[in-house]
Amino acid sequence: MSARKELLLSAAVVVLFAFGPWISPLMHLDVSIVSGVLVIAIAVMSVNLLLGYTGLPAFGNAAYFGLGSYGAALSVKYFQVHFAEAIVIGTVAGLLGGLILAPFLLRRRGIYFGLLSIAFGQVFYFIAYRYTDVTGGEDGMQVPRPPLALANAHVTVSDFGFYYVALAFFVIALIAFRTIARSPFGRTLIAIRQNEPRVRYLGLNTDRFIFVALLISSTMAGLSGALSGLLINFAFPLQLDWHQSGYFVLSMILGGAGTVWGSLVGAFIYVIGNDIISTITSWWQIFLGALFVACVLFFPRGILGTLQALGRRAPQAFDDDDDDDVNAAFDPNAPVEVGRGV
Amino acid sequence: MIEHLGPQLFNGLVLGAFYAIVALGLSLIMNLTGTINMAHGSFMTLAGYLAYTMVLRKIPFGWALILAPLIAVLVGIIVERTLVRPLYKREPFYSLLMTFGLSLMAEEAFRLIWGPNGVPFSPPGALAGAASLGFMQFPVFRIFIVVVLLIAIAALALFLTRTRFGLRLRAAVQDTEMIAALGTNTQVLYAVNFSLGIFLAGIAGVLAGGMLGLSPTSGNALLMPAFVTVIIGGMGSLFGSIIGGLLVGIAISMTTLFIPAASEVSMYVLMAIVLLVRPRGLFGEEGIFG
Repeated sequence: MSARKELLLSAAVVVLFAFGPWISPLMHLDVSIVSGVLVIAIAVMSVNLLLGYTGLPAFGNAAYFGLGSYGAALSVKYFQVHFAEAIVIGTVAGLLGGLILAPFLLRRRGIYFGLLSIAFGQVFYFIAYRYTDVTGGEDGMQVPRPPLALANAHVTVSDFGFYYVALAFFVIALIAFRTIARSPFGRTLIAIRQNEPRVRYLGLNTDRFIFVALLISSTMAGLSGALSGLLINFAFPLQLDWHQSGYFVLSMILGGAGTVWGSLVGAFIYVIGNDIISTITSWWQIFLGALFVACVLFFPRGILGTLQALGRRAPQAFDDDDDDDVNAAFDPNAPVEVGRGV
Repeated sequence: MIEHLGPQLFNGLVLGAFYAIVALGLSLIMNLTGTINMAHGSFMTLAGYLAYTMVLRKIPFGWALILAPLIAVLVGIIVERTLVRPLYKREPFYSLLMTFGLSLMAEEAFRLIWGPNGVPFSPPGALAGAASLGFMQFPVFRIFIVVVLLIAIAALALFLTRTRFGLRLRAAVQDTEMIAALGTNTQVLYAVNFSLGIFLAGIAGVLAGGMLGLSPTSGNALLMPAFVTVIIGGMGSLFGSIIGGLLVGIAISMTTLFIPAASEVSMYVLMAIVLLVRPRGLFGEEGIFG
């Protein structure tokens, strides 16, 4: 896709979402569900940066997400902070979570990294679950949405208003993500996924690159969590659970690993699909599980990854942008040595 | 407080034996194929529920303890051949994601078949009650559990070190391509190896059902400590899984006794300390799995 075509398409999507509060009733969706899509998309991006680009199985990002949610909720409950401050505090909480875990996670790669992410992420789950006095334990904590402090007035943030807050943060996160992905830094992350020893031989300290990627990822997840908590006015332990991390990874694969817009597509399918299925049947977990299985077996490139692969094969769609190669390592037909975790 | 130390230490060892045997199954599957089996807990729950149903139908507990894991193995082989096998050639996280989906489906299926709440599943009369060892009392069922788990671990060790098949299995972990080139059917190895892991999980599932209760999520509750066990023991080392399991079990039982609020977090603290001192885990080999 040429740069101009991409800009036009991106602008069209953002404009479409700008009319979200009017379009969503036509689809029988509550506007806060669409806000949820935008918010979750930021968390999916955070997974995408680590797994889609750097190739690290980020199965612990719910920890940062939940820290963001709890950071916002606790600061509102105990320190009566306002809307904007709560978002900042939640985001910083996610970043701090990343800072604490990074020294441990950095020591390993491949599936070992995935196992460590899952295991260390659970620490935060149990803390939220156990310290009932502060966190409300298993029931979580209901916190009414704080007002936005403007000059000397306090403005209540309605669901309608929240939608545009979510959209603004999504656009900022997307631009930041795209900029990072195409920067020399992002290229290095892709190179690390493809062949880390070679990157080391070139004289780069890959640990440092992964450290920065982890911090960016945890910050994004923290932001998403803070927004998510403020959106539903609720923080609960399952937001920190590794199941939640798995849902983020699934959304990333559904949308297309290693693609800039895949996170939005994946979050859209996951959030809306979940909403629809859970209203139809109480067996939603079976459908969700089947979606995991089917997606991994038959659709590992996700929607955007598949579209890009099709576009590459069509001769008329000449490609001057090699970003699509990001999906090459996720090619199910590509030979990978059997019996060894990469 | 101190008079509880002995029984609590014993409880820790029983718990640790569970973690060890679940971790052994996980490790077996992980070492050969790089698959992190997130559905491992579901196979435990499945075996537990099957044994529960068998005992309800008047099948003796001893038979249920063998039959239920075998049926779980049958399901496991079908799953491995149809769903896991296509993923061996792909990045390991795909199989993690797929088995995660399987565990979600299984959990809901258990809820539909056996109800959303736990079911009472108690050991048979002969195994109920307590035995006196002179200085303290022990529940007989827990002693039985330790004996069965020890036999299972010993049988696995003998199988892996004393039979030709076990030899091939260990060789395949080191170099699958070479063992295939030497004429071993690696697909059979994969299937048998997966079955071994599920069988261990099944035995643990039946015994855990009798000790810790049986509910749609009871197996998954043992999965996370088993992961921690694998990390502490070191990936790639079966011996490490055994030692790691016992360490985790003792750590949990001791914190339950002295600092109850930290009982869940203690194993993660232990894991963090081990990782800081020895990043590859206690008995892990450098280079395996990065």
